[in-house]
Amino acid sequence: MIHFERFKLDNGLTVIFHKEPSTPMAVVNLLYDVGARDESEDKTGFAHLFEHLMFGGSVNIPDFDGPLQAAGGESNAFTSNDITNYYDVLPAHNLDTALWLESDRMLSLAFTDKSLEVQRNVVIEEFKQRYLNQPYGDVWLELRPLAYTKHPYKWATIGKEISHIEQAKMSDVKAFFKKHYHPSNCILCIIGNFELDFVKEKVTHYFGSIPKAKKSARILPLEPAQDRFKSKTIVRDVPADAFYYAFKMPERKNPGYYFADLLSDIMGREKVSKMYIELIKKQKLVSEINAYITGSMDEGLFIITGKLNEGKSFAQLDKEIWRIVDYYKNTLISKKELEQIKIKLRTARAFQDQGLLNRAMNLSFFELLGDANGINQEQEIYQAIQAEDLRTFAKHLFAKKNAVLLKVKMKKNA
Amino acid sequence: MLNRQVAPPLTPIKSIDFSVPQHLTIGANVPLYWKNNIANETSKIELHFDAGTTVDQALVASLTAGLLISGTAKKSAVQIQHALDALGAYYDVSVSQEQSIVTIYALNSYLSAAFSIFHEAMSNAIFPEKELQEICNERQEKLKVQLKKVNVLAQRKVQQSLFEGTPYANVIQFSDYETIKRSDIQAFHAAHYLKGLAKVFLVGDISMEEMHVIQDKCADFVGMKRTVPKSTFAHKPNVIHEEKSDALQSAVRIGKLLFNKTHPDFISFSVLNTILGDYFGSRLMSNIREDKGYTYGIGSYIIENVQFGYFIIATEVAKEVREATIQEVKNELLRLQEELVPEEELELVRSYLLGQLLKAADGPYAMLDLFAGVELHDMDISFYNAYIQKVQEISAEEIREMARKHLDWESFSIISVG
Repeated sequence: MIHFERFKLDNGLTVIFHKEPSTPMAVVNLLYDVGARDESEDKTGFAHLFEHLMFGGSVNIPDFDGPLQAAGGESNAFTSNDITNYYDVLPAHNLDTALWLESDRMLSLAFTDKSLEVQRNVVIEEFKQRYLNQPYGDVWLELRPLAYTKHPYKWATIGKEISHIEQAKMSDVKAFFKKHYHPSNCILCIIGNFELDFVKEKVTHYFGSIPKAKKSARILPLEPAQDRFKSKTIVRDVPADAFYYAFKMPERKNPGYYFADLLSDIMGREKVSKMYIELIKKQKLVSEINAYITGSMDEGLFIITGKLNEGKSFAQLDKEIWRIVDYYKNTLISKKELEQIKIKLRTARAFQDQGLLNRAMNLSFFELLGDANGINQEQEIYQAIQAEDLRTFAKHLFAKKNAVLLKVKMKKNA
Repeated sequence: MLNRQVAPPLTPIKSIDFSVPQHLTIGANVPLYWKNNIANETSKIELHFDAGTTVDQALVASLTAGLLISGTAKKSAVQIQHALDALGAYYDVSVSQEQSIVTIYALNSYLSAAFSIFHEAMSNAIFPEKELQEICNERQEKLKVQLKKVNVLAQRKVQQSLFEGTPYANVIQFSDYETIKRSDIQAFHAAHYLKGLAKVFLVGDISMEEMHVIQDKCADFVGMKRTVPKSTFAHKPNVIHEEKSDALQSAVRIGKLLFNKTHPDFISFSVLNTILGDYFGSRLMSNIREDKGYTYGIGSYIIENVQFGYFIIATEVAKEVREATIQEVKNELLRLQEELVPEEELELVRSYLLGQLLKAADGPYAMLDLFAGVELHDMDISFYNAYIQKVQEISAEEIREMARKHLDWESFSIISVG
């Protein structure tokens, strides 16, 4: 059980405080309710580029990281299709420093041309390093537009193409800040050995004077229901043929989300899953196989992916994949297997909760979903799932018209 | 009224509480370090074996580790995995140059049962030929992917350059798979696992009865204490560039042999390393990322082994600025040898390092890792008090002295791929 307190400032900032008496450190986590799904299609990659700019100095403080490091702390951030999350971890007695820095960059950025110029280049190098200069690195740049036709999940957080980042202008940056970076669009979570009154006083001191702004309504293009199976083949300089089956799955707040998550755990289990035993051990069709979900807020993807062994064909594999998903549509998972997965989930969760930063990020995320206390209820939801739920769910999930397939074919050297 | 231009006052860290784990033993001389009174129900056991890649052929060490629970005469790999899963336990093996570490994570009520499953599986492992073939296939496919990455290629080359003529230079090649035999694995297992337990670390609240069972079972794996054969290193600095016409970035590795914690310069050099490239505000990051935008990231690292240590500067940069980047790295090394680090920067790094140490000592898992860092070198926890003191006292002159002594450009190998 993770105990927490919640309060709200007049300007709309939501604050979650979790007291942890055993640590000398403090965690300050800020989740801004903005991600790549909030970008316009001709300016993609912006939420992430913006995350970089948030470290380029704010209106009253020229450098973000320096003062935090001088306080013995460090900071980082990540951007997803749904959210942008910033965190600071520092010795608890220097909590003020983190609040001072975070509140100033929520108030306003410095918006220097130099920062924009440099971070554009840094992000372009990140684009190359992570997406273009790696075998299979561009798979998600291809898979997303195959799976989504209208919804902004059709582009990756890094952006659709490098040119969008190259063309980012200061006026775009300022407009983006104004729209998304203000108290009512943020959840602040603080963990440390503090008292609630102390935290209230500190947060009010630093964040209270930031002007209130209206949280803008999120109206995203609705993804039309998929009505047919789609597949695409790309040829790349990769060492093995790879496949990515993506099935549309329910959004984060739908109970089906939990079914999908548990089912992916069962199907993706290493060494013992049906897919592993059939495709790796018995048929020697693939060298690796996995199943996982994207875990997104809106309609997500259930992925089955792997690499073919030399001399094996996509056609052979395709037959087997559909045979295996049919098995889950028609067969009840044994009680024994279901229990194994549930106890593994419990273990994994206990280890996750061990880390302060994890706790802060999860509390913030559940608050965004509607209630930070979700962190304490999630296990019950998983533990209550029955084999019948999963079979019923699999019947919907694994309909062929609900799937897309991306094949990455080895380029043959002439 | 809040004046946002004035930074809040800072409180420096004066001292940190380091707690030492309980020291138990297995057999006559193998230590078991135990951290209990944990605030939650998590637990883990780590078994360190003298079974690293420098002990024998790298591939043999790597495959043996991967096959430890691949089946006994009575139970298949799948059955063993199911038994671990039924306890909700997670199992992991990692192999480095000098050791192999088996880790089991579980809720504390299941830890000793999970360990018993591992113990039985590992003790009676028969290494079925079919399992060997499967892992060889899987690993070769993974190696093919790895060898497409410029950072992996550069890392392999720098390792070969620094450790030439010693087992530390060995990297796994495809040709190694052609000659691998089941009997090599069996022999390695018998020598380095069944009789190769070097130490055990355990975190978690388990009962004394459970602890005794674990101690007894671990005793089966105790053999003669192995003395790591001394390698003689003769690093000849070289400059290698391997062109890859289709690469969008070049991976750069600049490295030299160095020392580990046992060396008197270690702490002072660590401070220098941080200033140079080991935090977000470092000289290399400020210059090459935050000023020039050449890269997504650049860093410098001290990597420690039992016998020695080495020092690496690593980055991936846009191809067209590869030479410019290497020149900038050289400039930064020279600047540290010529100019004194400004007091403000040094003070920031002092505070940063102590804050990071406070974090590294926070919680039982972190604290045990910190302890393992000194135990590896037969040192005790007082090292960290010496560290705090040295970090607080070190002067700009000493930093410059360290740079002059250890950052001579001619002493580095400079490897780039891409």
